[in-house]
Amino acid sequence: MVVYSLYILNKAAGLIYQRDFNEGLKRLSSNDYLVLSGTFHAVYAIASQISPVPSSSGIEVLETETFRLQCFQTLTGTKFLLISEPRQQNTDAILRRIYELYADYVIKNPFYQIEMPVRCDLFDRHLATFIKGIP
Amino acid sequence: MTIYSFWIFDRHCNCIYHKDYKRPYRQLRPRSEFGSQGANDEKKQTNGGGPPTGKGPLSVDDDAKLVFGVVFSLRNIVTKLAGEKESFFVYRTSKYKLHFYETQTNMRFVMITDLKVDGIRPILEQIHAGLYVEYVIKNPISPVEHVNGVRVNNELFNLGLDRFLRPLSIFD
Repeated sequence: MVVYSLYILNKAAGLIYQRDFNEGLKRLSSNDYLVLSGTFHAVYAIASQISPVPSSSGIEVLETETFRLQCFQTLTGTKFLLISEPRQQNTDAILRRIYELYADYVIKNPFYQIEMPVRCDLFDRHLATFIKGIP
Repeated sequence: MTIYSFWIFDRHCNCIYHKDYKRPYRQLRPRSEFGSQGANDEKKQTNGGGPPTGKGPLSVDDDAKLVFGVVFSLRNIVTKLAGEKESFFVYRTSKYKLHFYETQTNMRFVMITDLKVDGIRPILEQIHAGLYVEYVIKNPISPVEHVNGVRVNNELFNLGLDRFLRPLSIFD
């Protein structure tokens, strides 16, 4: 089961972290990544507007033929997007674990500025180990 | 298993058909001359006001624009990530699911349902092939291009759609 990539968006729809783990999706330029994150943030907001039922969240899962995109929005407005194979299981649990790693190695890092791009070595390393270890 | 609403958009990005089955929350803004029954009226109207104000009730037109915008932007995202030929099937939020099917002629079929519904893609394909093509495309009187807000006003299509969908879902 393959995880393709991870995106982290801050409250203002800015892309603060992007990492590809496996081949499988098209190669994109860094501009493309920024556009993608901005578009997704907007679509997430509109999706909760067009809901026929009150107080819906935004898009949580998006399924296509070649990939599956799971989004987890924290209480602070940070979004974690995980793009994986369509048959990947437990994407929920994976995202929560990534959130834990983010809280431990990014937020608790005293030199990290909130809402700025993530440049934390420990986070990268633990993330890589975790993703490699997924069955 | 509940269907909330059903939309068809043509390749010029116009909403050419819209049907609400259940709107437990969002009341529509009352239409100027036709009273406030709103939900199943398919006549396109210009509502005097400007863009929708986030929290208040939305008219059908504004809703159609939002739905189309969401669908269009998501398709762009998917195309960027996966390639030209790809499109998404369905997305899920905490309260509803939106199902999407696009034909080779760029007709877009959108259905909003509750969370319990699964695998509705064959149903959308069937609506296109068995109902839309049969009753709308093959109708010699219906317009080829739906311009100027002209919608699908086809009785056979409406009846067929009702007869097709009602046995599948639960209405209140």
